[in-house]
Amino acid sequence: MSLVDDPRGALADLTRPEAWVLGVSAAFALFLFVSLLTGALGPSYFLFLVGLAGMYALLSFGLNAQWGFTGLINFSVAAFFGIGAYGSALMTASSSPIAGGFNPLVGLAVALVVAFVLALLIGIPTLRLRADYLAIASLGLAEVVRLIVLNERWLTNGSGGVRGIPGFFQGWPVLSTFPEAMPGLRLEVIPGSPVLLETAFWQASLNVLLVLMFAGAVYFVLHRAHQSPWGRVLRTIRSDEDLARALGKNTYSFKMQSFILGSLIMALAGVFYTHLNLYVGPGDLDPITTFYAWVAVILGGSGSNRGALFGGIVIVTIREGTRFLNDAAALPIDPAPLRLLLIGVVIVAVMRYRPQGVLPPQRELIWPSAVDGGGTPDTPESGVREQKGGGGDE
Amino acid sequence: MSEGALPKEDAVLRVDDLQKSFGGLAATDHATFAVERGTITGLIGPNGAGKSTLFNLISGFYEPDGGTVEVNGTDVTGMEPYEVAEHGLIRTFQTPRKLEGMTVREAMLIGPRNQPGESFVNLFARPGTVAESESANLAEAERILEEFEIDHLATQPATDISGGQMKLVELARAMLAEPEVLLLDEPVAGVNPTLAKKLKEQVRRLNEQGTTFLLIEHDMEFVMDLADPIVVLDQGHVLTEGTPEEVRNDDRVIDAYLGGGT
Repeated sequence: MSLVDDPRGALADLTRPEAWVLGVSAAFALFLFVSLLTGALGPSYFLFLVGLAGMYALLSFGLNAQWGFTGLINFSVAAFFGIGAYGSALMTASSSPIAGGFNPLVGLAVALVVAFVLALLIGIPTLRLRADYLAIASLGLAEVVRLIVLNERWLTNGSGGVRGIPGFFQGWPVLSTFPEAMPGLRLEVIPGSPVLLETAFWQASLNVLLVLMFAGAVYFVLHRAHQSPWGRVLRTIRSDEDLARALGKNTYSFKMQSFILGSLIMALAGVFYTHLNLYVGPGDLDPITTFYAWVAVILGGSGSNRGALFGGIVIVTIREGTRFLNDAAALPIDPAPLRLLLIGVVIVAVMRYRPQGVLPPQRELIWPSAVDGGGTPDTPESGVREQKGGGGDE
Repeated sequence: MSEGALPKEDAVLRVDDLQKSFGGLAATDHATFAVERGTITGLIGPNGAGKSTLFNLISGFYEPDGGTVEVNGTDVTGMEPYEVAEHGLIRTFQTPRKLEGMTVREAMLIGPRNQPGESFVNLFARPGTVAESESANLAEAERILEEFEIDHLATQPATDISGGQMKLVELARAMLAEPEVLLLDEPVAGVNPTLAKKLKEQVRRLNEQGTTFLLIEHDMEFVMDLADPIVVLDQGHVLTEGTPEEVRNDDRVIDAYLGGGT
């Protein structure tokens, strides 16, 4: 039953948390739309934020594929993000100390290959052991990667970072000249505060297109994987690895697949960031990125792809929204440092009142056509349930 | 009668001179026995006799210090649990394992071995095959749940059912893995008498349909009624093996249980 065929039925099918999230999201979208029309929010900046939200969503997707699906504790989200960012930056940038000047697609490929190899190298010794060893090793890995990036000047240009990065679509037909070719538009909804759509806006919309493509493809892959027997083995490993082993599942291989998949998605987020920001520096590998991703996944509901998406958007809203707090209400203090406090308060509140996250998996995860079309017409389709999604308290 | 003395021509599981020690303690001390195809073999012994250790050694969770384990004539000593399972030996656990966030039938669907949908590549390269096998497995899962008379639980959360029902689900799921020999670790521990009776009937029925069982159980009435032959383990080695009648009347068994020792 899809939203298009039968909107009323699809809405009636929603569980309470889904309805809530949908409602709040709709209200928030309306608020943003009004802000845009009145000129309170610059359209180019808005699109930059959408890109950033997409990037955090990608990071949360990646972590969800590791922690949410399989229960792997990875504290090196920032490292894989950094590998993606630096991998593509060093391949494509004009100021790159090594190769440089390649097509961004080459950068994308190199970044993914490096992330793959690194995930494999860290996974081989740790994934046979208990979950905590991966946690410890990944914590170390994050620092090692950051320090290498900071100190190996011949490779990464050290603290200077990498500049001169082209947009992702540079060198493509049509798309590379699209921002310049588009005419500047001037919309005046409210008299006196016009909304200008110029080259920067078109450039930003290309970035949004890119992140939507990345995030859409990743969501498609994860959604299908989650409902499959493959995902079911991962979920079994998360609950009880010995049970999966006793039933003939090669859990080491499954954990490796899940770890690599998640790491590749994080690297993808890094690749996008490179072409969004057009500059990368060692500061981008700070551990805070790891913890933002963790907060997003736990907040959204571990194991839920939609939850990860939701969590990613909330993180960006808090991170960037606090910039506007001073305009909206004259606070006696600078609100920027409140950001971390606010995220802390949110996570404490979620843990206290909804430990399974805002939007944990809501339905049975069985390959859809097997339930709808196949063997079991009499059984109720959606075993809708509130479940303890496991999660942050472990 | 010496240890493991019964003639076993068609053994589905053969344990030979198996040893395992933890520190100075020999938990499994040159244990030798075999499980004849088509039987329900009981494994009993006082607390600390090494029954669970033996299960862990057989199923690959522990690596033995010496000796061999053969499943279906293949030497599986030192293999990973999943490899042992691939040779047809499936085990259950003493305490039912809880699968958070799954319904009973989802938990059942982990059972079938080598599902096409367990390959990540197949999910995208051959979705049709995945769907087909998932439909077949789902139908099979529901058929087995019906046979176990717990099909009404199919869409319940797997963590919200009683301990006894969990044991039934665990047994039902193990059947989906199509084992040649199924190791049950205390199938009726903590199960109420009604469900215990039901479990006994199910084990007997499955045995008649061709599954071989090896079960650890402390409930003497349960094991004496169901199993034949019975292997008695004491201090890590096989004390004796025989029919329930023989075991019950064996002085050494009584000594072992009462702690008489010498």
